[in-house]
This record gives sequence, C-alpha cells and structure tokens, in this order.
Amino acid sequence: MQSVAEFDNVGLRYGTGAETLTDVSFKLFPGSFYFLTGASGAGKTSLLKLLYLAHRPSRGAIRMFGEDLANMPRSRLPGFRRRIGVVFQDFRLVSHLSAFDNIALPLRIAGISERDLEGPVNEMLEWIGLTERASARPATLSGGEQQRVAIARAVIGRPEMLVADEPTGNVDPDMALRLLKLFAALNRLGTTVVVATHDIHLLQEIEGAQMMRLDKGRLSDPTGALRHPPRPLVLRN
Amino acid sequence: MKLPFAANPHERQLIPDGRFTGPMPWVMAIMLFLSLLAAAAALALAHSASLGSQSLSRQATVQLLENDPGARTSQQRQVASRLRNLPGVSDVTIVPESEARALLEPWLGDVAEDSDIPVPALIDVEFSVAPAPDRLSALRRELQRIAPSVRIDGNAQWLKPWFDLVSSMLWVAIAIVALLLFATAATVALAVRGALNTHKGTIEIVHMMGGTDLQVARLFQRRVALDALFGGALGLAAAVAVVLLLGERLAALEPGLLSGASVPLYGWPLLLLIPLAVTGLSMAMARWTVLSTLKKML
Repeated sequence: MQSVAEFDNVGLRYGTGAETLTDVSFKLFPGSFYFLTGASGAGKTSLLKLLYLAHRPSRGAIRMFGEDLANMPRSRLPGFRRRIGVVFQDFRLVSHLSAFDNIALPLRIAGISERDLEGPVNEMLEWIGLTERASARPATLSGGEQQRVAIARAVIGRPEMLVADEPTGNVDPDMALRLLKLFAALNRLGTTVVVATHDIHLLQEIEGAQMMRLDKGRLSDPTGALRHPPRPLVLRN
Repeated sequence: MKLPFAANPHERQLIPDGRFTGPMPWVMAIMLFLSLLAAAAALALAHSASLGSQSLSRQATVQLLENDPGARTSQQRQVASRLRNLPGVSDVTIVPESEARALLEPWLGDVAEDSDIPVPALIDVEFSVAPAPDRLSALRRELQRIAPSVRIDGNAQWLKPWFDLVSSMLWVAIAIVALLLFATAATVALAVRGALNTHKGTIEIVHMMGGTDLQVARLFQRRVALDALFGGALGLAAAVAVVLLLGERLAALEPGLLSGASVPLYGWPLLLLIPLAVTGLSMAMARWTVLSTLKKML
C-alpha cells in the first residue's frame, strides 16, 4: 500500500540549535487515524510542521503522496498543500475576515466559485454551531468558537490528510467529542488524520486509531501500530 | 494568466486596503508630478532645439563694410540680386539702413543715427538647408568679386553654444526622469516589503492552504496599480496645469531663443503615457518584490 507520508531518518534543527527531531522514521497509510502524543516540547508541533510542509527537514528524506520532497521545486508545493488540511494550535484565523470568510478561504484559494462554496460553508457553520456568528470576526469569538472555525476551515476542502495540533484544547468535552466524530467521519471517507494531543482520554475514544509518541524529539511506537497495517476504525460512544 | 485587476472582492479582502494605502498614492503623485515636469521640460527643449536647427541655423547675415555710402548701397543691391539667383537660397531680405542703425543703438546711443557714421549694409539670407562652413566660405569668395569687403556670418556658428546648452539640458531632464522613475520603483519596493511584513501572518496562512506566490503577488500588484493610477492622475493634473501656465508665460516673451520652448503637440500623448508607464513599472516592481521575498519562505 502506498503511504500518504513517509519519513526516513528525518532530523529537524532550527538555526544552529540542537535537533528538535532526531531520526524520525514512519509511514502514514491512507485512511488511517493517528494520534501523536508526547510531553510539551517533545517536538509534536515540529513534526506536524514537516507534515503540512511548513518546513523542510534538516536531514533525512520525506515522501508525501508518493513523491520525494527533497528535490521538489517550490512551485509544486501549493498543489500538495491543497491536499492537506491543517488545524493550527493557535488557530491562525485571519483576523480581518469573518468566520464565514475564514472557513471559505481554502475553497477560494483553490478557485471555487462563490456560488459553489456558499452551500458547503454554511453547512459547516451549521455543523460547528456558529451559523448565527457567520459574520463575526475572530476577535469577537471565544477561544472555543475560534477553534471550531479553524477546524471547519481545515476540513472544508475534504483534504486527503488532516493534520490537527491540539484541536480539542479549548473546547468542552461534548464539543471535543463532536469534533472527533467529524474527524472520524472524514477518516471513513478516506482522509488520513493525524491529531497531536495531550489528552490521553481522546485516544480511547477511537478504537483502531494508532498512536505515535514523541519523547525529546525521538519517535517511539508503544503500540507497535506503526509497524503494522492499520486496523478498521471504530468510534466509541 | 489572470489580470491584476481581476482579483475578486473576496481575494482583495485578504490584504485590507486601509493598511497598505497610507501615504503611497501621495508619494506616487509627487513623484509623477516631478517626472512629468522634467519630461515636459525635455520635450520643450527638444522642440526648441529642433525649431532652432530648422529655422535659425538656416539663416546667415551678409555684411558689406564699404565706407562709401553710394558704393555700399550699390553693392548691397548687386549682392542681394546675386544671392537670389543662387541655388539653395530660399529667401533674401535687404535690411534697411534704419534697422541696421537701430541695432547699433544699444552700444552707440543716439550717435548711431548720425548718418556720418558708416554702418555696414546688411542682407538676411535664408538657405533651404543649414549651410556648412565650407559653403559659406565659397559663397564669401564668390561675393567678394562684387563686394571685396563682404563678410558672411552663419547663424549656426553663433547658435552652436546655445544648441550645446539645450542638448545638455535635454540629457539632464532625461536623467531626472530616469532617476525619478528609479526612485518611484524603489519606493514601491519599500512599501511592498513593509506591507508583506505587516501581512506576514495572513500570507503564511494563504501559503499553508495552498495559495501560490502569484496569487499573493496579484493582490499586491492590484493595490500598487490603484495607488499608482490615483497618484498618476493627481500628478498629471498638477503637472499639466503648471506646464500650461509656464507655456502661457513663455508665449508672452519677446520672440527669441526661448520662444519655441513649449511642449509640442506630439508631446502631450507622450506625457499622458508616463503615468500609465509608471503604473506598469510599479506593478512589475511589486510583483518582483513579492515573488523574490516569498521565495525565501518555504
């Protein structure tokens, strides 16, 4: 089975500092659900940045969707990025755009017409419970509402891979579960999902999800899942 | 390729107008005003030099220095008659003695009108093409057979320093236009870099969502184009007003070397093209600045 992402002895260093990630090797398979755990500063966000192509590795090789990134020209990166949805830890909503426009952003960048994007964006707003706040700017939204908008923005383009950095950190348990259900639903449609989280309880919510654990920049595979083909996913509750 | 003005309203929202506009249109207006004045001066000088070379340099003055007034008048008629029959001579005018004396009045005062003081007999000659010094020498030798005291002064000879000055001023004006265009391009580059820095967060997000460098560049190109067009219209209106006012003042001067120094008809479309050219230059500069800056990002 061709992997969605394949890391081979990847190292990442910012400037001349110590390596943030060391000898990281793994494969992510299509349609799989992964949790990435680890203590603060273990390198989760750095690993996700490599996954959503915000950085190139200092060493090692990365293959995304079957293509080697090492020699890939910059001009080809946007095409790959459109296949990846990202939920940033700090949301990174565009402050002067409304909730509607923030969610519509990936579709507009991809050149979807206004007529065609209105329905999906409104549907997404309804799903995250923010229909009434469609025209609100991020500054007027609560932390949880901003996070929901960020998640809606990441999934609206039906990406092949969804990368989420602490997506449930600012929402109540009910909303966290709803968001996980959305991720699981996307996953069932074929999207590979990688969720970085501190919340160990989330791991129990999705049976079949695989776990990657980072410890001081090194990846461990406590469940052995990364060495085996993915199992069918079952969402508990 | 999508045109810079084709960015839809939602794309335009990504870079809010208010944050980028600032003093840019006014700086562009000042730059264009100065560029247009320099260009108008260059066109007027070129026109003046062209007129000068076309008319003044084709003229020459024949002087007869004979002391005997009777012989002088007779030689003047003979020389004028000979000149009229020469090929390449388009006009011959005998300058009346009263006019010749009036020319001396600034130096000699009322004494110049005293008929006892001999005054050279003058003949204005216009050639169909500006005569070369060799031609004037040959002509002088021929006319000496009629009037041994004849002298011929070609206008081109004494006009040469004036034409040299006009030519230098023309190049200075062209250099000023070039420098102002360079300064305008540098201003655009600085403004775009500032704006890129201001909107770095938004641009990173657009990149992470698969936005291309060209999509980002288009937003800045559009903004810069609007600023340049606004500034260009303002600068053009002010420059045209100043050029027309100065043209009016020049027209009121006595006929002389500066009388032809006005923007010729063919110069006005060229002046109108400058704001459009600056708009194109600014857009190209904005595009280059954005693309070269974004290249450093992944």
